[in-house]
Amino acid sequence: MRTFLLALLIAGAGTVLGLAVNTVSPRRLPVITPPKVELQPTDFIALTDARQLWQSSAALFLDARAPADYKDGHIAGAFNLPVEDFNARYPEIATLLTMETVIVTYCDGVECDLSHHLTERLRAFGYRNVRVLQNGWTVWRQADLTTVTGTKP
Amino acid sequence: MRAVNFILRLVVGGVFVAAGTLKIWDPSGFANDIANYRLLPDALVNLVAITLPSIEVLAGSLLMAGLWKKPSALLITGLMAVFLVGIVQAVVRHLDIHCGCFSSHEARHVGLIALAQDLTLFCAAAWLTFWYKD
Repeated sequence: MRTFLLALLIAGAGTVLGLAVNTVSPRRLPVITPPKVELQPTDFIALTDARQLWQSSAALFLDARAPADYKDGHIAGAFNLPVEDFNARYPEIATLLTMETVIVTYCDGVECDLSHHLTERLRAFGYRNVRVLQNGWTVWRQADLTTVTGTKP
Repeated sequence: MRAVNFILRLVVGGVFVAAGTLKIWDPSGFANDIANYRLLPDALVNLVAITLPSIEVLAGSLLMAGLWKKPSALLITGLMAVFLVGIVQAVVRHLDIHCGCFSSHEARHVGLIALAQDLTLFCAAAWLTFWYKD
């Protein structure tokens, strides 16, 4: 019984520690997860359509994942615009865009919504043609399409 | 036997310290990994991503240091049981997701290897909790 209570105490202390670290961390998260961005089915793009856009260089691909993931591998030609660093990185990306540019955002995982948040941010800036390639990094690789590693597109 | 216990404590504790530290480094990546397991209500994902890594580091450190050995080993056993449930349900549901066991950048996907590794850790932690004698 004493062991169990002490185990709970450690868990409690770890919880407090985690919350404390989160308040000072530059990568802090909101403690309560914000509601998901509600996207419509038409906000998503199918892999075949994304591939066509990519092959004809008709769209700009934006990788919403963390820089370390981007460096490990990304869709060839995609620029990295992590949601967390949006404000810092957006100005550089903005020079590549007009309001009409076709933009494809992606991250990794069927539940990943970094690309959804990125899409919402871009739309708030007035970009009209932004769509999400859901689970993009995984489906792109599974289709054996071109990827590159490193910090450059 | 003492030497075996000592080594087990260092290994199990060390794995937890390493895994927790890597996850503290990248909370949003870890939150994404947790969400992909599709076990928790969405609202709780960040809370777990914020607190779980610190609990791991604390419990692992105590176990390595030999302070509150049994309670920290018990806590680690409990956590490993939860992780095992997560992995088993992901395998059963054919979720092709990152393990998220150490960090979101590891290539390792959930599967039988992750399951075997976690089962080994679970057994080691359970040994330290229930059969360990000073």
